Amino acid sequence: MTPRRPDLTGRQPNAVLSALSVLEEVARVGPGVTAQQISANLGLPRATAYRLLNLLVQDEYLVRMPDLSGFALGRKVALLAGLSARQESDRAIEAILAKLRARIRGGVHLADLRQGSVRFLDVDEDFPLSDPARIAADPGVSALGRLLLAEQACPAGAAPEPYAVQVGALIPGFGCFAVPIRDPAGRLVAAVALALPAPRLAAPAHLVGLVSDDVPRLAAALEARP
Amino acid sequence: MRALSRAISAPPAVDSVPTSSPMAGLKWRAVGLVDVLAQSAGAVAPTAAAASIPALVVGQASGSSPLLCMVVAWLLAGGVCAAVSQFTRRMRAPGSLYTFTTKGLGPHAGFAAAVALLIGYGFVAMFSLVGAGMYAQNLVSTAGVPAGGWGAAAGVVLFGAVCFVVLRRGIRISARVTLVVELVAVALMLTLLAIVLPRADPAAFLRPITAGVSGPGHLAAGTAVAMTAFVGFESAAALGREARRPFFAIPRTMRWVVVAVGFTYVASMYIQQVGAESFGFPLANDDLAMTQLAAHSGVPRMGRLLELGQATSLVACAIASLTAFSRVVFTLGREGVLPAAAGWTDPLLGTPLVALAVAVPATVAVPLLLLVGLGWTPWHAMSVLIVVSAVGYLTAYTLVCAAVPAFLHRIGELTPRTGILAGGVAAVLAAVVGVYLAVIAHTQSLALWLVLASGALGLGLYAWLRRRRPACLAGMGLFDETTVADLLSAQPIQDAGRV
Repeated sequence: MTPRRPDLTGRQPNAVLSALSVLEEVARVGPGVTAQQISANLGLPRATAYRLLNLLVQDEYLVRMPDLSGFALGRKVALLAGLSARQESDRAIEAILAKLRARIRGGVHLADLRQGSVRFLDVDEDFPLSDPARIAADPGVSALGRLLLAEQACPAGAAPEPYAVQVGALIPGFGCFAVPIRDPAGRLVAAVALALPAPRLAAPAHLVGLVSDDVPRLAAALEARP
Repeated sequence: MRALSRAISAPPAVDSVPTSSPMAGLKWRAVGLVDVLAQSAGAVAPTAAAASIPALVVGQASGSSPLLCMVVAWLLAGGVCAAVSQFTRRMRAPGSLYTFTTKGLGPHAGFAAAVALLIGYGFVAMFSLVGAGMYAQNLVSTAGVPAGGWGAAAGVVLFGAVCFVVLRRGIRISARVTLVVELVAVALMLTLLAIVLPRADPAAFLRPITAGVSGPGHLAAGTAVAMTAFVGFESAAALGREARRPFFAIPRTMRWVVVAVGFTYVASMYIQQVGAESFGFPLANDDLAMTQLAAHSGVPRMGRLLELGQATSLVACAIASLTAFSRVVFTLGREGVLPAAAGWTDPLLGTPLVALAVAVPATVAVPLLLLVGLGWTPWHAMSVLIVVSAVGYLTAYTLVCAAVPAFLHRIGELTPRTGILAGGVAAVLAAVVGVYLAVIAHTQSLALWLVLASGALGLGLYAWLRRRRPACLAGMGLFDETTVADLLSAQPIQDAGRV
């Protein structure tokens, strides 16, 4: 696409068009494009370009790179594509997790396991992960990773593990418990993990009961994702 | 829109964006616009300032129009606000003005701004604790309980403890209480001023406006004192990481606060002058102007209510100033300029626990030393502490304004208008600081010694860092950077997991 040079000003109602053309220009040039480049490429007066850029940053359609001079597309740009199935699914998951968190005195995390590694989809902000790098690198130190290992070791046809537990591998006196979430074909797609003090992990069967209602709902919400 | 649709369906990979912010640990986007507004308004403490600053300005301006001094200060505060907004629209920095200065003028000027800002926030917090203690002592003794000389000191300790508990829990609740208290107190004061006006002598109405200017020195001195009424409005910037929609909330909050308190101050200044002239009491250096106005207008109870308003306003000011102070200490800890422990946060509450544990006891200890150790009266201690704080604030303002052109030039977004405005405000402020230092050398030499002692402490730390930790000094300027979670390529659901 060749750069368009429309006659743009910062005034309404052209401002909306100008803002969209700024977003388009950031997408076209790619992350790191500077305000001066945008102003030159679009033929916008510099003061107008800076004002539009700051407005788009204010509402998070654009973000500034750590050097503060470059721009990249922000998360909110996804909203311009309309409400996707993915966002609806995300909302459903958020709602389920919020209720679960209100009920359980401990951390509740959701992780995707489809890639054969632990990829967190939602981390409980009140109970941050103690060591995300180690959890990602070594599946043996987390209940989520142990669930994955058990699944890989499980012979075809045998009954899969109903849960996995880890106590004291990351922080002495604390541990976590993970329950699998499976797709209709029975494949392991994700897991919900509860981070708890060690004494509460002594009766895992009871913990399975605590989340048994939410697991099928999370499975359905995850299934709806594209 | 082809490139945009392509980017949405297949977000581009972005290098050089970190996965976590250097400010991680402070709660992320926890407070809304109202709380940010309360932070700024609380740190300004408009009730206490509108009541006491006019008399101080009259004392300094000596012949020059105090009203003009107040209007010039309002314009200057507006200029500082515009300059600081150049940063708050572009970056989220708990270190606020000192981080901004570092981004424009480099770590050496940034370090000077950090020391100035710590002096500003720290001493105004001490001033507020002593003030709150003094008003509490007055109220207790009015109720018939003999408080004795230890009353104010006990008040300082009590209110210091209140500040620590509130600040450790997070600023949300305290911020809302602050805002309501300030609004009620300002409304009360404006009502009192409206009561005074019809009772005043019409001949006095024009006098404040027609007063002349006796010389640039007096005008600058009066303006410097009047500026102290505005300081604190910029403290919203310290909530860069903690505010929701920070690039919207923080610049707007600062602008609203400067406009609103400026109006209150000019009105208060005008009516206090008219009232003092009509009722025939001197305004200069009188801490009880509002009480006198209320008494002369036949509503003495309103004066008492206003004193209560001032006490609560001062507690709010201590909380807001310590909030900003602790974020500066926290950032210095993260940068390694102060011991790394200063950068620790409470894992559950997301507040800078160690920074608070250092800041609050220090702001209680100094007033205790002055009141108990040296036997100063609370009013004497307050008048010295506020001057020290003002020098710190005004120095930090000067540096941050001077940093604007350099910063915008570096990121390629400098326009002539912004550069000239910020440079001009910096030059005027530098002159005001100079005149102010000369004035306090005559009238408040104790305050000058405290300024010099604090400056020497900062200079000592600077020399030590240059010799032993040059890397920490060079690494200053950490802020709450964009992380991968802010990018289009992030999953929306990661929002909840941001820690």
